[in-house]
Amino acid sequence: MAIDDVDGTDDRQTLAQEVGGPASGVTRLAEGGRDGNLLDINDLTVDFVSVDGKVRILNGVSLNAKKGEVVGIVGESGSGKTTLGLAILGLLDSPPAEIVRGSVMFEGRNLLKLKPGEMEKIHGTGINMVFQEPLDSLNPVYTVETQIDEALKVQRKRADSTAMQVTDEESKSVIADLLRNLCIDKPEEVMERYPHELSGGMRQRVAISISTIEKPRVMISDEPTTGLDAYVQNRILGMFSAQRKSGATLLYITHDLTIASQICDRIYIMYAGRVMEAGDTASVLQNPLHPYTSTLVASVPQGFEDAPPLAVQLGEPPDLRNLPGGCKFNPRCPYATDICKREEPKLEHILSGRYAACWRVDKANGKFS
Amino acid sequence: MGNLVEIENLTVSFRSKRRASLFRSAPSLKALDDVSLTIGENETFGLTGETGSGKSTLAKVLVGLYRPTSGSVKILGRKIDYKNRKDIAFLRRNVGIVFQDPVRSLNPSLTVKEVITEALLASKSIPKKDYDERIDFITKLVGVTRDLLPRRPGALSGGQRQRISLARALVVPKKLLVLDEPTSALDVSIQAQVLNTLKKLKSELDTSYLFITHDINVIKYVSHRLGVLFYGRLVEIGDTLTVDTEPKHPYTQSLISHVLTLKKAWLQETVISEHRPAPSGCRYRIVCPAAFDRCGAVPSWVDLGGGHLVSCFLYDHGPNIQSQVGLPTEAAVGEGDLRVPPHETS
Repeated sequence: MAIDDVDGTDDRQTLAQEVGGPASGVTRLAEGGRDGNLLDINDLTVDFVSVDGKVRILNGVSLNAKKGEVVGIVGESGSGKTTLGLAILGLLDSPPAEIVRGSVMFEGRNLLKLKPGEMEKIHGTGINMVFQEPLDSLNPVYTVETQIDEALKVQRKRADSTAMQVTDEESKSVIADLLRNLCIDKPEEVMERYPHELSGGMRQRVAISISTIEKPRVMISDEPTTGLDAYVQNRILGMFSAQRKSGATLLYITHDLTIASQICDRIYIMYAGRVMEAGDTASVLQNPLHPYTSTLVASVPQGFEDAPPLAVQLGEPPDLRNLPGGCKFNPRCPYATDICKREEPKLEHILSGRYAACWRVDKANGKFS
Repeated sequence: MGNLVEIENLTVSFRSKRRASLFRSAPSLKALDDVSLTIGENETFGLTGETGSGKSTLAKVLVGLYRPTSGSVKILGRKIDYKNRKDIAFLRRNVGIVFQDPVRSLNPSLTVKEVITEALLASKSIPKKDYDERIDFITKLVGVTRDLLPRRPGALSGGQRQRISLARALVVPKKLLVLDEPTSALDVSIQAQVLNTLKKLKSELDTSYLFITHDINVIKYVSHRLGVLFYGRLVEIGDTLTVDTEPKHPYTQSLISHVLTLKKAWLQETVISEHRPAPSGCRYRIVCPAAFDRCGAVPSWVDLGGGHLVSCFLYDHGPNIQSQVGLPTEAAVGEGDLRVPPHETS
C-alpha cells in the first residue's frame, strides 16, 4: 500500500488505516486525511521527562476517526488515554512532555507541526475537549451567563467579524435557550449562579455546552460522567448522542465499558500507553481478542449477591516507570508464555475490522488460549 | 436472628449558615428525614440514591461523625446516646468506615504501615505482638503488596490508597463496615477485585456491610437487601432481587431503568426534568409521572410482603386506586403480578 511519508512511517501506519474498517484504502485525500478519516493519529509516542528519567506515556499509538463517528478510548489509569487527548489538542506542556515521534493529522494538517498560534484557530471550531472535572474548566469568579456569553462572543466574532452587536437581552435569551436544551430547569436562575453553586452534573453540562457552542468538528471528552449518578450520566450521554447527530466526531475517553458500549461505534482498548485491541464496540465486547479486554468485560458487576466472584485478573494497572518486558499485560495474563515475556506483540489484523496485540490469540477463530 | 443495626425514625437536619433575613432564622435542611431500617447479622445492606440524597449522612451518623436530630440508632441492641463518650467509643469499636475519597482519607505524613497500625493502636483490643501478623493478613486480603508498606500515600495510586483505607478499616474486626462509595474512585479492574475481596472478607470476618453507592450494577452485585433514598427519605426497601426486578416506587422504577449495562443498547435522549424535591408531602411528587392529589401528604409505608416496603400512595389502598390514576402498566401491582425476572432468562 502506497502511503505518503508522514513522520515516523512504519507498518503501524498501514494498520491505522485499516482499523477504520471496510472503507480503508479507497480514496486518499491530498495530504494526510486518508480514507476519509477526519482525525488520523499515527505512531504517536510521548515521553514525560522528570528528574527520575524518562517515562514513556504513549508508545506508538495509532488511531483514526471518521466524520460523525464516536470512537471510544477505553483504559484504566495510566493507560495514557488523557495524554492522548491532550496531545491531539497540543495541550501537553513541554517540558515535561516530549513528543518523540508520530503524527496527528487533522483535515490534512499535522497538528504536531503547527506554528505557534495556529493551534488556537483549531481549538473551538476544529477540535475541542471536555474535561473530567468541570470545576477546572470553568472560571470560578464568573457567573455561568458570563462564561457562556464569552464563548458566544468568540463564536460570533469568528463567524463574521462585522457581525452586529447583540444586545444584552438577546444574548440572555440565547443563553437561556441553550441551558434549556441541556434539560436545565429554570435557566434564568441558573445563569446567575457561579460554578461552585451548581451540582456536579449541572456544571458538567455547562462545561459541555460551552465547548459545543462553536460546533467543533471533533470533540474529545475525557471521562465526562465519572462520579456522576445514573440520571446525570444519561443526560450527558444523551447530549453527546445529539452532538453526533449533528455530524460531530466524538472521541470518548472512559474507563467504563458500559458507557462505551452505549455510545461508541468503535473502541480502542489501551494499556500502558499502547493500543491492545481495536474494533467495533459490539464485537469487541462480545468476543474480546485480548485477555486484557476480557478482564475489563469481566470487571463489570453482573448478577446478584449470590453470583460467583468476578472473573477479573489480579494485579493492577501498570507502573509506567517500571514496565515488564515483552507484552505489558503479561504479569496479569493467565495465558502468558515465554514469548509474551520476551517480545512485545504488535497490533495486528485478526478478524475483519478487528485488531489485537497478543501472541496468544488464534487468527483462525479469534480465540486466545 | 437478631438485627445488628436498628435505625428508627432517624432525622438529621443541617442549619444553613446564612440567615434567610434579619428576622428569620437560618433555614434548616433535612438531609435525612424519618429514615428507619435494619441491618441483620452478616448481611449486606445496599443503600442507593442520587447525589445529595443523604447516603453519606447516614454513613456518618453510623460512625458518630454526625449526631441525629431525632430518632434512634441501636447497635447490637444498645441504643446510642450521641452525647455519651462511652457510647461513641462503643460505636466506633463496632463500626468501621471506608470513605469515597482515597486521597483525603489518609494522613499524608504517615507511611502505609503507620496508617494501618494507628487503627490497631486505637482499638486497644489486639496485643502488640500480633500487629505484624494482622497487618500481613489484611494487606494480603485487600491486595496491598509488602513493598508499599514503607511508602507514604502521596506516592501511591488511587486504587492502592483505597485498598489501604479498606485495610485500615478491617485490620481490627468490626461488626459493621460502612462502605461509602468505596469503589467509585477506582479503576474498573480494581473495583472488581475489591468487590471480590469484600465478599470474601465478609464470610471470613463475620461482618455486616452497609454498602452505599449510586452504581446500581455494583449494589445489585453485593447486597442482600436494598434501600432507595430520595432526598433524605427512604422510598423503597426490599430484597435486592425483588426491588431490581419488580420496583414499585415510581422513583425506583425510573432509577433502575436508567442503569447502563453491557447488553442494553439503549440511551435516553429525551428530556428528564431536574429532580427537585417537593418541600412537603411525598418528595418525589414534582417529577413523579403518577402523582395525584393524595401525594401532598407524607406517604406511609406499605408492606408488599416478603420484607418489601414501599412508601407510596399508589399502593396504599389496593389496586382500585391505581387504575383510577392510570399508572403505567409496569407499575401494576397485585398478587397475580408474577413477572419473570429478566436475569433468569439471560
